[in-house]
Amino acid sequence: MTEHRAGGTGPPDEYIEAEIHRLLAEDPDVAEQGITVVRRERALVLYGEVESPHRREEILRRVAERFPDVPVTSDIGVIRTQAPTEIEQLP
Amino acid sequence: MVIRIAAVGDVHLDEDVVGRFRPALEELPGQADVLLLAGDLTRHGTESEARCVATEFGGLGVPVVTVLGNHDHQCDQVPQVVKVLEDAGITVLEGDGVVVDCAGGRLGIAGVKGFGGGFAGRCASDFGEPEMKAFVRTTTDSADALGATLRGLDCDVLVALTHYSPVPDTLAGEPLEIYPFLGSYQLGQAIDSAPTALALHGHAHAGTERGTTPGGVRVRNVAHPVIKQAYSIFHLGDHLDHPQVSGIGASGIQQPWS
Repeated sequence: MTEHRAGGTGPPDEYIEAEIHRLLAEDPDVAEQGITVVRRERALVLYGEVESPHRREEILRRVAERFPDVPVTSDIGVIRTQAPTEIEQLP
Repeated sequence: MVIRIAAVGDVHLDEDVVGRFRPALEELPGQADVLLLAGDLTRHGTESEARCVATEFGGLGVPVVTVLGNHDHQCDQVPQVVKVLEDAGITVLEGDGVVVDCAGGRLGIAGVKGFGGGFAGRCASDFGEPEMKAFVRTTTDSADALGATLRGLDCDVLVALTHYSPVPDTLAGEPLEIYPFLGSYQLGQAIDSAPTALALHGHAHAGTERGTTPGGVRVRNVAHPVIKQAYSIFHLGDHLDHPQVSGIGASGIQQPWS
């Protein structure tokens, strides 16, 4: 992966967005392909859903570790695992 | 008679998830004849993660049939993963099929992981660099195996189980740019080459639940982030007049046709 250009104070650029997206998939501690990275004026926002609270924390920890200068906020949920309340009938 | 199919994909198990699905899975014997898993059972495809899958999805009291997904290939331990799953009584399909005897009839399931490539008119071609040809041929070989298996199964109801999507319909919500990495039309063509009743897949976490192949076969994306519950249940029966959804009450599934 290309090195992050540290120390910048401007808005996060497209390359950082791409690097975070790849980090989430390729970092063995994360391995998530379903997280969306959205660039906002003041921060990058991570959206998506994961299978446990631990994974959500790990994503934020790894992103903060690798991109300490990039403001990142998270709106990642943990997917519910309740039994279904409906069935679908298919003739 | 009705065949009752429970299905989920993309559960991405590791130690931190073990036990989360189990309470809902314990209810399966009264509600489904079989549980189908649409791949990406693990995070990285390690033997230890496969043991987590065996713990969570083994010994359920209903047959469990699965295909693997791309995550299950990440650490190149597919033979070990398959062995752990099979030792737990889980049937792993890749280019083959199985017939399960259910109270409502014989359910035939043909399974492949499948692969990407894209959809008709906007897909990769078997042309150019060796890497490109290998990519497309992987898809074609997978679809050919699925089609041959579907056409060869002797059963009453036929279901196709893949990880990658056979249609673009169930990808709605994903960025258009990544559709070629999420599925391929050849899988749909294989499904349409046989009297398939239902096609189940996963992989597209931001996709949508329902679609149909060009030949009219119902397709359902059962990726866990899409269905947002432990599994979905489908009732297949040719006596039903029209598709409908019924509720499950506190006393179990309500059967509006009975």
